Amino acid sequence: MPGMTQADVGPAEVRPDGAVRCVAVLARDYPDVIFDLRVAEGDKVLAGQALCHDRARPEICLVSPVAGRVSHISFGARRRLARIDIAVQADSDAARRFDTLVPQDDGAGLRRLLQQAGAWASFRTRPFGHLPDPDASPAAIFVIAAMADPRLLDTELLHRGMAALKLLTPGPLILCQPPGPPLLPEDDRLRLARFSGPSRAAGPMIHRMMPVSRQRMVWQATAQDVVAIGHLLACGQIMGTRVVTRAGQGPVVLPLGAVLDRASQPCLGRYDLHLDDAAADQRLPVWKRLLARLPQAKGAAMLPLESFERAFPFAILPAPLMRALACGDVETAERLGCLELLEEDVASLGALCPSGSDYGAMLRRVLRSLAQEVRA
Amino acid sequence: MTMVQTTPVWRWEANRITAVTALALLPALAMAVAERGGAMIGPVALALGVWAVWAGMFARLRGQPLAWDMIVPALVFVLMLPGAVPLWQQGVALSFGLVLGGLIFGARGRGFVNPAVVALAFLLFSFPGATAGQPGLGVAIGAGLGGAVLLLLGLISGRVVLGFGLGLAALMALQPAPDWAALTSATLALGLVFLIADPVAAACTNVGRWVYGGLAGALVAVLGAGAAGVGALAPVVFAALLASVFAALIDQMVIAANVRYRKGRQHHG
Repeated sequence: MPGMTQADVGPAEVRPDGAVRCVAVLARDYPDVIFDLRVAEGDKVLAGQALCHDRARPEICLVSPVAGRVSHISFGARRRLARIDIAVQADSDAARRFDTLVPQDDGAGLRRLLQQAGAWASFRTRPFGHLPDPDASPAAIFVIAAMADPRLLDTELLHRGMAALKLLTPGPLILCQPPGPPLLPEDDRLRLARFSGPSRAAGPMIHRMMPVSRQRMVWQATAQDVVAIGHLLACGQIMGTRVVTRAGQGPVVLPLGAVLDRASQPCLGRYDLHLDDAAADQRLPVWKRLLARLPQAKGAAMLPLESFERAFPFAILPAPLMRALACGDVETAERLGCLELLEEDVASLGALCPSGSDYGAMLRRVLRSLAQEVRA
Repeated sequence: MTMVQTTPVWRWEANRITAVTALALLPALAMAVAERGGAMIGPVALALGVWAVWAGMFARLRGQPLAWDMIVPALVFVLMLPGAVPLWQQGVALSFGLVLGGLIFGARGRGFVNPAVVALAFLLFSFPGATAGQPGLGVAIGAGLGGAVLLLLGLISGRVVLGFGLGLAALMALQPAPDWAALTSATLALGLVFLIADPVAAACTNVGRWVYGGLAGALVAVLGAGAAGVGALAPVVFAALLASVFAALIDQMVIAANVRYRKGRQHHG
């Protein structure tokens, strides 16, 4: 690109992070799914080998992003699978091979392949944020390219992946990208949309272009997941890594579910593409640090501040919605538009609200009861 | 794009809001002390005592730690008091306001009126006549300073403040002989910053904030059209009370319009 300085090029150099010795697959990334295990602690696994499947829809598998050994399996409430830890085998890139000859133009075959290879988890439905049903077909698929840098995003594989997605829906594919040159040429099915403003999230784009409802469901996926699908179709192996941006640092390549800190064990969620490290938080002004020393109030309530509206890029009224969510008023929450939202969309409200409530969890409870209602 | 957060974000936690709001009240309080001197000691001590008794009792009954947020309305009440109100009347009115305007709701943000408004309204209804005497220009400047800080920090809404100014100016301009000098009244400034712009009492949607602010300003102008003038206590307090009662209705109308708008988009989108 003309006019680019060395400093611009610098951060785009992707470096693999060799320090990751453990990855984890988290069941909490897939709300309302009960998983049945296919491996046991101590088993050796290949990259792409199925670890577990959805009890209700056994076609849908989660696979190991790396070659290694299942080091720990933990269970949560009601003995449901919560987390599978896999110790990375450093010298091995043993990967399961998938037969990719069938699916090139056959929708059913492609679905089977994506479900076996764990790539079905690339998609999340709106409303509800579920893994889609194996034979569902959405009104549209939104593909979110948070970074439009072709050095970070293989456009050839993206093209290949997008071509495959066309078999999954009769509707349009909408590729959302930052302003700039188009990532892919548009055609009759593939439409480009550009983010306006700093947000790189799927929620506001879908809200603006194709608001979802009980009648209309769309899927969302990240461009990197679509690249991974292209990779799967091209080489028959899964792509277990993602480019993750880090506050204050350049992007790094990390395996899906990379465990970042062995002591506290936070790990990259399935859809996490950005790491917010301590560095960004250290420059708090003195008065904020002083106030932070006050004890926290117990039982504090939501206080409607104007900042909620600024942080919430939806034509949905945040304060009334937060009140409806906080008291579990499903009917009002639906009337106010909660079907258009997922946990990631209300995270900013939780960070601003004086009550410190977890609006994501409250939204999930409301969505769960709405999903049951729709299914019934 | 979702993200992993390894450090908690700083946020406006309830006690932090209370502390900053109390600090924003300090300039006005200092000016009042400078103006009235020792006469302020009794009312301030009484207000703190009444606050401590009721907040402590509710904390004990509920088995919760002491909530500090009621200190602010207790002090605002003292600042806005007309000159000569007997202490026992102050105590009764403030008790009524703190308990029925705030504490029974559980926590700040769960109620719908400012406790100081309830206390002052109670005082004006129950013990009429004691409306002589007003805080002076210094207090007004102090309140304006505090209001500017709260506005900058986003703890009160600029839409409410602007809406109030527009509503008040529009209705005053319609009057035959508007008393523009009354706009520098300390009661008006304190009322706007700490009573009307209080997010608990105000509407909670952006459009609603304009309407709510405008309504409050218009009410001050209408109620103050008589002999007392817009800077007097009664018009400000009753405008704040009426506006906060109507805030929920305003929000419901905004919500209804929003629901209609989104339904329309769903059919065409």
